[in-house]
Amino acid sequence: MLLMISAINPTVKAIAVLIPGILLGLTFDVFTPLVYLIFILTVTLLLSDIPFKRWIKFFVPFLLFIASFSWARLLYTSETFQNGSVLFSFWTFEVTTGGLLVAISLALRSLCFIALSLLFIMTTDSTKFMLSLMQQLRLSPKITYGVLAGYRFLPTFKHELEVLRQAHRVRGVGRAKGIRGRIRQFKRYSIPLLANSIRKAERVANAMESKGFTGEHDRTHYHQMTVTKRDWRFLGMMVGALFLAFAASYYFGYLNIFGYQVN
Amino acid sequence: MTKQWKLKEIVLLSILGVVFAVIYLLAFGIGQGLVSALTPFGIGPLGYEFIYGIWFIVSIIAAYIIRKPGAAFMSELIAGVVQVLIGSPAGPQLIISAAVQGLGAETAFAVTKWRDYRTRVLLLAAVLTAIVSFAWHYYSAGFFAYEAWLVGVMLITRIISSMLIMALLGKWISDQLAKTGVLRGYALGKERQQNREQDAA
Repeated sequence: MLLMISAINPTVKAIAVLIPGILLGLTFDVFTPLVYLIFILTVTLLLSDIPFKRWIKFFVPFLLFIASFSWARLLYTSETFQNGSVLFSFWTFEVTTGGLLVAISLALRSLCFIALSLLFIMTTDSTKFMLSLMQQLRLSPKITYGVLAGYRFLPTFKHELEVLRQAHRVRGVGRAKGIRGRIRQFKRYSIPLLANSIRKAERVANAMESKGFTGEHDRTHYHQMTVTKRDWRFLGMMVGALFLAFAASYYFGYLNIFGYQVN
Repeated sequence: MTKQWKLKEIVLLSILGVVFAVIYLLAFGIGQGLVSALTPFGIGPLGYEFIYGIWFIVSIIAAYIIRKPGAAFMSELIAGVVQVLIGSPAGPQLIISAAVQGLGAETAFAVTKWRDYRTRVLLLAAVLTAIVSFAWHYYSAGFFAYEAWLVGVMLITRIISSMLIMALLGKWISDQLAKTGVLRGYALGKERQQNREQDAA
């Protein structure tokens, strides 16, 4: 049976993405994150129905960001990794092989983080994620439905901003000039927008209470979120693969934990 | 944690989390611009540090308005979860960062038993949040691989940014909101009302 990631319980999926995300922070070698990155990409390709074009659109902007961080790591490598021969000099900087390797390692780690994140956000329905947090992790129903209500208001903010802008124009308030004007403009927009959302929060809370919402956990759910064996298998697969990557890395003598070569 | 909260306080907390999740996502764009501008000098990572306080601000606003245990932590956590709901490419990792940051801020209020919301406590919350979140990023983003002085400069920049944006701007926004009268039903609004009555008497 093909295991489709969009069908995995959102909470279990989040945990399956989080654990490798945390453990990857340990490695400073090139091999481990590279192997795991290949694994994530394979999973994304084979087990999800994410359109490739959409995935690339999210992925590419991050390359710039990673490139910038890697460049900094290359120039300002800490002494722990300043080993090996000097590859090239740039201005007053000397780039060593050790520095280059750790920069590549951290870039690969960041790519793993992003690939894991995309795997999660592109296969998960936001409402179901909240409902699952409530049903599996016992997040308070008050918070769950409060967040869902707030989430529902997001599209209205744009409209409100437009109304504010028009209201200002009608009163003859022009565009801001200078720093002072900018600060005043920030206040003119941000405070009314926030005040409006606070009013909305109060109204929503009143509406919830008047409809008999108690916020108790023993309630019925329209969407029953369940955890099945398939979900645990997915968790096992994601974490297991990382341990295999660590093991392979150790076996081949690449494993480097916080600058200590382990072998 | 939120047992003795009123429903409207919880909904306010949630909606603040949602609103600031959007602001946090927009701030990534600004940060990205700063990073690009600094990249030619090889200090790109510093770009984010200048505006880091933005990503902590909801903690102060929620705690300062609601004044109950857990407000700083929960609001930040919700903002983290909502960023994932909206579809931040940083993904579920953000939830951990948010929890860590929220804990940093909550610690300051816990020290004062959630009774003192003067500027100095807000500043303490800002410093703690900056340090705790930095420690987490030191591990997860591999700051370990940078030269020590760069790490030091990053940390100090983050602390200052956090004090200015999180503590001072956060307090200012909350006070401005209280002036509009929408907070009448919450702790900050009630305190203002009391002060006014005392002045009148």
